[in-house]
Amino acid sequence: MKNNVVKAIVGLVVVLAIVLGIWYAVGRPPAEEPVAGVPEEEVPVDEEVVPVGEEVVEEPVEEEPIITEIGTGDLHVSFWNGLTGSDGVTLNEMLAQFAQDNPDISITVEIIAWDTLYMKLQTAFVAGTQPDMFLAHASGVPMFAEFGVLRDLGDQFTSGGGWLADDDISETTMYGLIWDGVKYAIPLDNHGRGLWINTDMFEAAGISTDPATAPTTFEGWVELFQKLTIDVNGNNALSPDFDPANVAQWGFAVGEWPNVNFMAALAQHGGSFLSEDGTTVTINSEAGIKALQQVIDLVYEYNVSPPAAGFDSWASFGGGTLAVIPTGTWFRNWAALQEGINSMAWPNWQQGPAPSTWFGTHAFMIPAATEGEDLEAVTRVIQWVTENQAWWATSGQVPALMSVQETLSAEEFPSNILLGQTFTEYGVQDPRSPIVREMLTHLGVALSEALNDMKTAEQALNDAAVLMQQALDRQ
Amino acid sequence: MAGIETYQNKKVILSKERTVPFYLKLKTREAVAAYIFLAPFLIFFSVFFIRATITSIRLSFFDWRLLRPDITFIGFGNYIELLNDSIWWSAVQNTLFFAIMTVIGATIFGLAAALAVTRPIRGGEFFRVLFYVPQLMSVGAIGLIWNWLLNTQFGTINYFLSFFGIASVNWLGNPDIVMQSLSMVTIWWTFGFPMLIYIAGLQNIPEQLYEAARIDGANAWQTLVYITLPLLRPAILFVMVTGFIGHFQVFGQPQIITAGGGPGRASWTVIIYLFQNAWVAFRMGFGTAIAMAIAMIMAVVTLIQFKLINRNVEY
Repeated sequence: MKNNVVKAIVGLVVVLAIVLGIWYAVGRPPAEEPVAGVPEEEVPVDEEVVPVGEEVVEEPVEEEPIITEIGTGDLHVSFWNGLTGSDGVTLNEMLAQFAQDNPDISITVEIIAWDTLYMKLQTAFVAGTQPDMFLAHASGVPMFAEFGVLRDLGDQFTSGGGWLADDDISETTMYGLIWDGVKYAIPLDNHGRGLWINTDMFEAAGISTDPATAPTTFEGWVELFQKLTIDVNGNNALSPDFDPANVAQWGFAVGEWPNVNFMAALAQHGGSFLSEDGTTVTINSEAGIKALQQVIDLVYEYNVSPPAAGFDSWASFGGGTLAVIPTGTWFRNWAALQEGINSMAWPNWQQGPAPSTWFGTHAFMIPAATEGEDLEAVTRVIQWVTENQAWWATSGQVPALMSVQETLSAEEFPSNILLGQTFTEYGVQDPRSPIVREMLTHLGVALSEALNDMKTAEQALNDAAVLMQQALDRQ
Repeated sequence: MAGIETYQNKKVILSKERTVPFYLKLKTREAVAAYIFLAPFLIFFSVFFIRATITSIRLSFFDWRLLRPDITFIGFGNYIELLNDSIWWSAVQNTLFFAIMTVIGATIFGLAAALAVTRPIRGGEFFRVLFYVPQLMSVGAIGLIWNWLLNTQFGTINYFLSFFGIASVNWLGNPDIVMQSLSMVTIWWTFGFPMLIYIAGLQNIPEQLYEAARIDGANAWQTLVYITLPLLRPAILFVMVTGFIGHFQVFGQPQIITAGGGPGRASWTVIIYLFQNAWVAFRMGFGTAIAMAIAMIMAVVTLIQFKLINRNVEY
């Protein structure tokens, strides 16, 4: 009897230890979660001078729950968004302030990963359980507009007698809000691609960290990456003794969201995703094949990047084994938290004759079914957040309003300003199509096959183009 | 007719027949009680399975995009498109490979574990619990854990392999071994259930058979092959059939561990294919046709398994 009790206790302790161990391992993310910012006016003045290019780090906050109830007002708004990173935390903080300023309104915020959000919105629209408002990518406007589930928001803009100045939004951003001549969304930010560089690695390699000195040709970039790619014996990729099978530090990583990298590269070579009339897929043009082949060559010819699959770019950058990561505005706060890693933002790399970068827009959309008091409350929420876009900049994203962009301090928001300028000057967005998600899935598979040496660039893009064209023709 | 018997050449009326209404007969009452107990399940089954299945079969003959008002009848158009899609056949190949490898692996490991823990050794019960614990975890937790364990640069598996001088293996990025990697994860995760089934099966094998075998001079291997395995055949059949049905519908592991079936489509399974068509492209009609095809494949393989394994099953 005593033996059985002892056995039971030992067994229980072991099981508990295993469960706790698994909980600990699974509960902590592999990389630190990005943290939210605080409004500019609440950041205490730092005695220490912040070097140019370095970001301000705020105190870590607790991870945001999936569903957050904000405010206690009787007028209730349900709001869905896909901001699962630090930007979601920032937005919830803004909404908490809104609720304080508007005590008659309460908000239930549901944060859902983007892919799941798009699925959930579709089924919610079918079931009639859609939220009162949601935040999505402007690239989703054609899809939702074609479904007939979005409210025309033209009356919110000054051109329609509303409060939001049309001329405070860049042309490229405004283009993304419109489908069939109707404005369906109100922009919150521009978010997009650039590079984050490890400044210590650059200095060790004798490369200037000034973004103005960045190469403007593919060959120039290859040479830069080669200087930054170092094997276990300390030889860089330019050295005849370089051992590509034993690399300790990579110069670049091609596997970090290749879809948007490709879209920018395609534009740099003068190519386009779709024909002018939007009926023909053109990713497999000469420009597309050349753009993709250059990236493949970085892996298999110049050995400055590992193959895409199986390589964790963020963890590598944070672990000090990657010199340049192609990433986006959302990287700001996460980068600042990496101990021992000094980094800064650079514009997207130029591999073609002309510079280009990818950017998107997070935008508020209102279902057509939102009416009456709910519509009034939702409009107040959106207007308040739009008027406080400077606060939104602390999330790392670039405020959509140009007037707010101009107010950002270069010391506090160097990456926002630098990358935001590139979006305005030469940014490209997702193709405008109701089936853009389906097409980008096919493209993503093709790029994965090419970058992992499963197909040539031409084969991969041709196969993807066929599937994308079939999808487009089914429309 | 009354119950009449002959006793000592005299007719004896044993009982007088009563005319009982059918609804009061014991048989009827017992049947009614049974149906009342079954009713909740039957209602649930009818609404969520039978009705859903009939609706799905019907939808598979239509072209229907979610949120589009028009639903067009296209006959066998979805099925024809499916049969002509090389991506579908690639997904079927991947899934069959995964399911067969995982079922065989889980069966072997489950049986080995069951044979081990049913021996009269110290700690047998502890190991039963230990081997079953992974089964209790969700696919999300499993996916996150193994995503890191199998990470090429920072993964624990490669770290320990380096002690033996083995270079880092690209477990999840090499298209030639990614399905094997997912299968290995799934075997680790799920072999606890077959183990329990086999333990129950082993306990049903009469000890006298083993005694008789020992007396006749059979060694451990002969005992296993000529006594244990044949008598475990019902359990093996159950494990393989249910295992195949479950593993053929694999989704969580490739979706989480290889980020949606990568690299390329090397770990696309039939459910990933269905997911992409139904929930990314929102082609619901085509999606239901895919689901019907998956059900048919599973039914055929299950029948084959019954034919092959169910021979001479001893109960």
